[in-house]
Amino acid sequence: MFLGIQVLGLLFGLLMLYITFLNYKRKEFTIKEYLFWVIAWIIFMFVASVPSALDFLVMDLLNLSRTMDFFIIVGFMFLIAAVFYTYTIVRRMQQKVEKMVREMAIERAKK
Amino acid sequence: MMKKKIFAIIPGYNEGKHVGEVIANVKKYVDNIIVVDDGSKDDTSLAAEKEKVFVLKHIINMGKGAAMKTGCDFALSKAADVIIAIDADGQHEPAEIPNFVSALEGADIVFGYRKLSGKMPFVLRFGNWFISKSARLLYGVDLHDTQCGYRAFTSLAYKKIRWRALDYSMESEMIANTGKHKLRYKEIPIQTIYSDKYKGTTVIDGVKIVFNMFLWKIKGKKGALKCF
Repeated sequence: MFLGIQVLGLLFGLLMLYITFLNYKRKEFTIKEYLFWVIAWIIFMFVASVPSALDFLVMDLLNLSRTMDFFIIVGFMFLIAAVFYTYTIVRRMQQKVEKMVREMAIERAKK
Repeated sequence: MMKKKIFAIIPGYNEGKHVGEVIANVKKYVDNIIVVDDGSKDDTSLAAEKEKVFVLKHIINMGKGAAMKTGCDFALSKAADVIIAIDADGQHEPAEIPNFVSALEGADIVFGYRKLSGKMPFVLRFGNWFISKSARLLYGVDLHDTQCGYRAFTSLAYKKIRWRALDYSMESEMIANTGKHKLRYKEIPIQTIYSDKYKGTTVIDGVKIVFNMFLWKIKGKKGALKCF
């Protein structure tokens, strides 16, 4: 029997598949990025439908009692990594913008 | 003895009202003026261009630190010997420039300090005291006023104090680099006119500055980068 949370997970996966497809059609994703995200969302939907498929990993290898705990831990790890990655990207962009703006100002100096 | 080339750097953001008058007053005391319009939305650069001085324009607002660095790098490319940093809002008295230049004899950098009076808003006074104590503790640089933007330094000193900060914390990074490189510094009192109480270093800036001072201490001497 499907639980409400599983239905929600499936619907979320489908929605994200559609958004990924739109991004690809708008040429915002390359074919590689598109395939990566399609596979990621299919895995997500599979795990949402059959959570027991992860029992071996969650219970035997990681010694966690519930699959939900596994998702929460993985979710937090992902969020921390995402924030760090975003920070490095923003910092790099800021340095590039600063260099560009300052060089342009010096090149176009007026008197 | 060769005469030293004195450059004034005036960074400004939306200072169209004051910058023309500031330039006209500064002109009497320096050889060249560089105005850096930090992405203003008003006519700051137009007003500066009328005064026939060097005008550099940032296409977007980057902060005082970035604007000052652009101006100083440009001054160095024009063989400046002495650089005077002065605000565009008219809060610094240009007639005091000769005091800075003479104080530079026997010093690498001269800091202006605002005399404590009822005119300085309390928040600024407290923030300044807190940052001054932190600068003394961390870098051994003992100053009355760490946030005063009226300063003078030699071009050689600039290569050592060149900051990375884009915002107002450049004032503190300059002090940190002065301490790290053991540069000779002096302080001279200046007059200040507070034209806009909403401008300048805010409480949030103050907290950020002290946090950055700790970071610069940890990072060591990486602060001073090569000029491009």
